[in-house]
Amino acid sequence: MRKKSALDGPRLDALSKVTGSERYSADYYPEKFLWAGAKRAMIPHARLLAVHTDAAEALPGVFRVLTFRDVAGSNRVGIVRNHQPVLVDAIVRYAGDPVALVLAESKEILSAALDLITVDHEPLPCIFDAEEALKDGAPRVHEDNDGGNLMRAVSLCKGDPDAAFGACDAVAEGVFETSRQEHAYLETEAGWARVDDRGVLTIVASTQSPYRDRREIASALGVGEEKVRVIAPYLGGAFGGKDGITVQCLLGAAALCSGGRPVKMWWDRRESFLAGVKRLPSRMYFRLGAKRDGTFHALSCRLYFDAGAYAGLAGEIMTMAVEHAGSAYRIPNVRIEGYCAYTNNPVGGPFRGFGVPQVTAGMEQAVDTVAEKLSMDPLELRRHNALRQGDRNCLDIELTHSTGFLECIGELLEHPLWKDRQAWKASAPKWKRRGCGIGCMSHAMGYPAAVPDQATARLKLKKDGTFRLYSGVSDMGQGNSSTYARIAAAILDQDAAAIELLQPDTNHDLPSGSSSASRTTYTFGNAVIEAAVVLKETILRCAARSSGYDDIDAVELLPGRVRVKESGRFIPLSDIAGLIDDADRSQKGYFRAPHDDSTLAVLYLGAHVIFSYGAHLARIEVDILTGKIDVVDYVAVTDAGKVMNRCVYDQQVQGSIAQGIGFALMEDYLVREGRQETGDLATYIVPTSVDLPDMISIAVETEEKTGPYGMKGLGEVVISGCLPAIANAFHDACGVRITRSPLTRERVLSALGEREDER
Amino acid sequence: MGRVYLPATLETVFEILSREPSARLFAGGTDLLVRSSAVRRNEGSLVCLERVEGLSGISESDGAVRIGACTTHGELMAGGLITERFPILREAVRHIGAPAVRNMGTIGGNICTASPAGDSLPALYVLDAEVELHSAKGQRRMPLGRFISGPGLTALEPGEVLAAVWIDKDQGFNFHHFEKVGQRKAMAISVASMAFAAHLDGAGSVVRARCALGSVAPKVFTSQALDAFFAGKPLNEETLGAAAALVREGVSPISDVRASEEYRRTVAGNLLMRLEGARAAVR
Repeated sequence: MRKKSALDGPRLDALSKVTGSERYSADYYPEKFLWAGAKRAMIPHARLLAVHTDAAEALPGVFRVLTFRDVAGSNRVGIVRNHQPVLVDAIVRYAGDPVALVLAESKEILSAALDLITVDHEPLPCIFDAEEALKDGAPRVHEDNDGGNLMRAVSLCKGDPDAAFGACDAVAEGVFETSRQEHAYLETEAGWARVDDRGVLTIVASTQSPYRDRREIASALGVGEEKVRVIAPYLGGAFGGKDGITVQCLLGAAALCSGGRPVKMWWDRRESFLAGVKRLPSRMYFRLGAKRDGTFHALSCRLYFDAGAYAGLAGEIMTMAVEHAGSAYRIPNVRIEGYCAYTNNPVGGPFRGFGVPQVTAGMEQAVDTVAEKLSMDPLELRRHNALRQGDRNCLDIELTHSTGFLECIGELLEHPLWKDRQAWKASAPKWKRRGCGIGCMSHAMGYPAAVPDQATARLKLKKDGTFRLYSGVSDMGQGNSSTYARIAAAILDQDAAAIELLQPDTNHDLPSGSSSASRTTYTFGNAVIEAAVVLKETILRCAARSSGYDDIDAVELLPGRVRVKESGRFIPLSDIAGLIDDADRSQKGYFRAPHDDSTLAVLYLGAHVIFSYGAHLARIEVDILTGKIDVVDYVAVTDAGKVMNRCVYDQQVQGSIAQGIGFALMEDYLVREGRQETGDLATYIVPTSVDLPDMISIAVETEEKTGPYGMKGLGEVVISGCLPAIANAFHDACGVRITRSPLTRERVLSALGEREDER
Repeated sequence: MGRVYLPATLETVFEILSREPSARLFAGGTDLLVRSSAVRRNEGSLVCLERVEGLSGISESDGAVRIGACTTHGELMAGGLITERFPILREAVRHIGAPAVRNMGTIGGNICTASPAGDSLPALYVLDAEVELHSAKGQRRMPLGRFISGPGLTALEPGEVLAAVWIDKDQGFNFHHFEKVGQRKAMAISVASMAFAAHLDGAGSVVRARCALGSVAPKVFTSQALDAFFAGKPLNEETLGAAAALVREGVSPISDVRASEEYRRTVAGNLLMRLEGARAAVR
């Protein structure tokens, strides 16, 4: 590909974001709109006997109050299992379940009306622990689920792990628990909707998945899919939390009963916390065995994930965890079992990393424990076992694509912050302990084999000689739109400003999957390249012919114009546009990511074939008087292929580290008996800028030959390294391991106290 | 929802309060508006004191400094007088919220909220601050320690307004230390905090000390026995270990979503250990 430098430069959406001119889904106030809001059950498990809406309906300014009886379709949503009610009709399964929907003239009236709705219910026994939920006699969350509370179980076996442990010289065992992390995006769930004269329901919403949403909305509300249009403006953050239905069906249900008036819904922070999905909490049993020389020989894991009340993508997240539990190491004998259970807790769902941050935390701490038992340098141990291209991973699948894991580890081995760590540790001030920890990881890109990972892009030469690019994949803040425009500009030899980019709209008919799975730039970027190449050829051919040449090499494309090489004459692109048929001025590009269908037999939905890699180093200082952990230095080495744009690249790395440090040190959405205890940003603690260290981002630029400009996915890989790097650094500093994250001040102090007691 | 008043004089404030005794006073609103966003509409009127004459600014008289109740934390930090005379107060205020919060929140608000976690309070206790209260009937002064009687409870009478804080200029301390423990480094509600000021002699022994701890009791924890215990002793591990034990016995923390009672009790004592080896500041 040419003109790689054209991909560099600031984000094209930077100015509109910092000046506040960008319009997010919450920024629309259509004429004569009604506010819509849901009444939440606030009880974790109950049979719903009655919903009393009379008092609310009698309130002046209330337009209507809807219950499940007003929903014409299946009243169910769900990507894999279609069982989550839009409005509860029989059973409440968690506190955030909606039981009624109010349409009101103002936000204040809406709020007052919601307070006036009451329900009659018969409490049902509850279950709040995933492992307990799988035992006989546990209260059942879904009576019709065949396996009790077991949503999905997945297992992998390679070699003979039982026998292999007997042949190991060192075996590390550990039980690790991770927290229920909340996305806490700046923009809470929001949108607006209306039904037009032709009966088309248009929903503008903050969503990562407009095309999949359209199907779900249509079936849940009983509207033909052709009568549903979903538009996804720029999102103010999502991180996986908007990969699916949030406000969409409620908005649609409201708009279908609003007499043609637009309706607007905007969850406040408490509702976003209550009803939004969370990272699945895990309990993970790890056992890793190695030979005396450090060679990993056997791995066995049992993983329990708490899905909460509904399936969502929890089973797929757990499966991804199973696929990544052995990280990027050569291990001949492996058994990994994953279980995902229903409980009456908040619904689990996608969150940057999709199950991998949990298992990586377990695996990388087990790796450090093996290193300790063998008295080996933990980074050398990782180097010794690191997968290379051509090796077979824990699923026994050969890695045929770019594999820069070893290079990532190599960068750290040579890094001064690693090499001089002992001197730094030894100079810890009074009451402080210093430690240096490693966390390595891999992360699959795109969808597994059974789910086609494909995209269609459309690029149009407008009559005025500028271009319009139709995106099929939402931009939730990661900057993919800007990258798409820069790719098109680079290929068409145009200034990036000449490319207008439209955010996804199902009317554009470019189903391209969700903005997720570290796939947005890889998959859609490839489709943009194809569209741009075809369009460029169309333009050059037209220009050549109109100038009397057959060979398109007789002309060249320049910003805003074409130059005829022989005569030196310039033709404005607006003139060329007038010469091309409307149909040919608009070109499509299609791409489907590589997939290996032979892996369908190995794992539910099949395996992935392309991975990104990373190796992290965290230097921490532990205050033994208060338990406070300061992350002092952080180095993230990443193999996400070639870097297209350093600014966007480093933003992904830094954002992931910030969120990863939050996951490691403080973020824990507490639920007691199914009710939220950290219901707002005053109690749910995320890191601030002063809680974060300077972050060093090093790119190991392997070339992924199938990727646009040699890149591969970056959005998720980085977050998985933070918790294990910090947990391992804590062990390095204090000689004791905290197996339950986050590593709060209280847990630190209590671990230090227990260590003292042992002495 | 009630009305929001923006009076310019204390007289107008008194008038409003006599008409609407349930009206609530606020200045920066950093506590009130966050806490009551969900219930605010059901409450009465609000009276904003921000523009009331005579409630802002720092002034100096012969023996004391008067800090207007509506002086923001940001203004306190910027004021040279505070930095020079009461460095411990500046240090404590620096730990409140983040710059935007400090530019809105006021010292009067921090006092009247009377939260056990109020960040400025332990320092004000150590400095023996007094409050100046105004009402239609006149004005009165009382020590801060008497003004706050429990979580959210003050000696403010109906119709009364906190107008200012007074601190004696000459505190006679040559060492101070403030530390706050929260769940993160900024925008954090204190889980435990300690303000300590002392007059140390040339050898580092305590001539006189005052110690106050926040977030570990219904109100700021102080103890005359503790202050007296330090007298004549050097701040070494032995002294501080014994003082820490006194603190752990004396405090009565709660468990909540931020920290357990045990953690708060342990840390309250631990914070004293940070004083080890303290030396007088050279002026």
